[in-house]
Amino acid sequence: MSFVRFESVTKSFSLGEHVVIPFAKLSLEVDEGEFLVMLGPSGSGKSTLLNLAAGIDRPDEGRVYVGDTEVTALGSVSAADWRARTVGFVFQDYSLIPVLTAYENVEVPLWLTHMSRADRHQRVCVALEAVGLSDRHGHRPKQLSGGEQQRVAIARAIVADASLIVADEPTGNLDEESAKSVLRLLQRLNNERGKTILMVTHDVRAVEHGTRALRLIKGVLHEFKERAL
Amino acid sequence: MTVLGAGLAVTLLVGIESFSAGLTRALHSGDKARTLIVYRSNRYCPQTSYLPERYVEEISAIEGVESVLPVKVFLNNCRTNLDMITFHGAPVEKLLATRDIQVLEGDLGAFQSEGDAVLVGRDLATRRGLSVGDKFSFGDIIVKVAGIFQSSDSTQEGVILTHLEFLQRSGPVDRLGTVTQFEVRIDDPAQAEVIASKIDARLATAEEPTHTRLQAAFLERATSDLREILRFGRIFGAACVAIVVVLVANTIFMAVHDRRRELGILRAIGFHAHQLAAMVLVEAAAIALTGGVLGLVAIFAVIRLTGVAVGVEGVQVSFALTPGVAVMGLVSALGAALIAALIPAVRAAQTDVVKAIRGGA
Repeated sequence: MSFVRFESVTKSFSLGEHVVIPFAKLSLEVDEGEFLVMLGPSGSGKSTLLNLAAGIDRPDEGRVYVGDTEVTALGSVSAADWRARTVGFVFQDYSLIPVLTAYENVEVPLWLTHMSRADRHQRVCVALEAVGLSDRHGHRPKQLSGGEQQRVAIARAIVADASLIVADEPTGNLDEESAKSVLRLLQRLNNERGKTILMVTHDVRAVEHGTRALRLIKGVLHEFKERAL
Repeated sequence: MTVLGAGLAVTLLVGIESFSAGLTRALHSGDKARTLIVYRSNRYCPQTSYLPERYVEEISAIEGVESVLPVKVFLNNCRTNLDMITFHGAPVEKLLATRDIQVLEGDLGAFQSEGDAVLVGRDLATRRGLSVGDKFSFGDIIVKVAGIFQSSDSTQEGVILTHLEFLQRSGPVDRLGTVTQFEVRIDDPAQAEVIASKIDARLATAEEPTHTRLQAAFLERATSDLREILRFGRIFGAACVAIVVVLVANTIFMAVHDRRRELGILRAIGFHAHQLAAMVLVEAAAIALTGGVLGLVAIFAVIRLTGVAVGVEGVQVSFALTPGVAVMGLVSALGAALIAALIPAVRAAQTDVVKAIRGGA
């Protein structure tokens, strides 16, 4: 059963006097519990697809569904509430708040809930343990390596028990070892917790960690079947 | 820097308003509705008002007068200044019976019995670091501090009380038999104008004609220059508030600009636009309140440790940092900060999530 569904979605951008249309009438279905890896050249619209699925961008035409929710029909306020409940974000540059500790960064999404402090504490500890950073609670982003920062970002993405994780080039800033470790972590979250993951990357080696891979070229999605060396 | 700037602005603003509160307190504290001041007509500085001491009998004879205190005033400077030293010499028993003073430390008996003994007002003692037992000279006058006193009348806390005859005989010219003013206590405040007119009428043809006013009116005239200074000071105070607005606006604007990606992330995570706006406003408020508290501590320390007071024509006005003034200072800083942060808060609320996340908002 499809969990994320794009129905004939068109998106355009204005670049100065020019209008760029990365994709038009694009349709896509992603099943619940799938780990979809999306590849494609820069500017092909991969990240835009993620943004549309996460409800932070709107298409010119078409509809996007996540679960039973038509994301494209949500207003600004209800979209924010929906994202807080449903979507976890992982970005290339980790996007942690520098003045907060690892613990506090992970806790941020829970500030939006009515959870008690004790419940929040338990959730944050579980999330940090899941990403292997139980001993880094009090560290600020600057005191962590790139790989560790990305793990904190992943803990933040799962702490509110989001059913959909969108990861925009999560290994783009990492060395090879850290990148592998982050991909294995995402794969584990997908296998063990059944999280649906949409990941955009340039790294073809990431394909082996997903359950399916697509390539977006000139507005058309192609199955990616090559094996990475 | 912004916190320190806000703190400095609050220090200046609260300083100005503390002076205003001190001026109001000077005009209204004590029993001024029942006290008339008899002064030499057409004289304004105590150093030029000489009235025969024997007027006491003339004034006492007028119906409605409860008591008359002859006072010799001696001071270092009649013009507006920050370190006025004022002696009030009066018959000691009458002085203690008429003026509302409480000796905080020292020996009242020694003051009553020793001719060169003085009681020093609390504000002046703080300002000049005077303690009981100290001896000090002022021009030709050498006195010994017998006690420190406080008074319900704030203008009294900046003066030195001594014996009338001692003060009359001090200085380059012996002025025995003359005083500067009479402090007349009356039975009925409603009769103040009538009694004042009767006093002046009775002494109109004497060698030194008088001008009698309610003590509050007397102080109002003496402090009229200070009120002008205060008016200018208030413009300065408004400028201080404007400085807080500019400082906070600049800081918050830069903060919102620098953190647009962070704001975008928070929006993506699920924060509402109004929550981001509130975060910006809270940050501005925190800056203003931190600076405000620092400013309050600074001005409190200055007033407490230096006992600074403004004197003019023998009247001293001390700074009154009341709870109301402190709250006004903090509320002004807070209000200024919130106004300053309004536009940045709206901009934060309008963060375009996609552009912010891409780093281009």
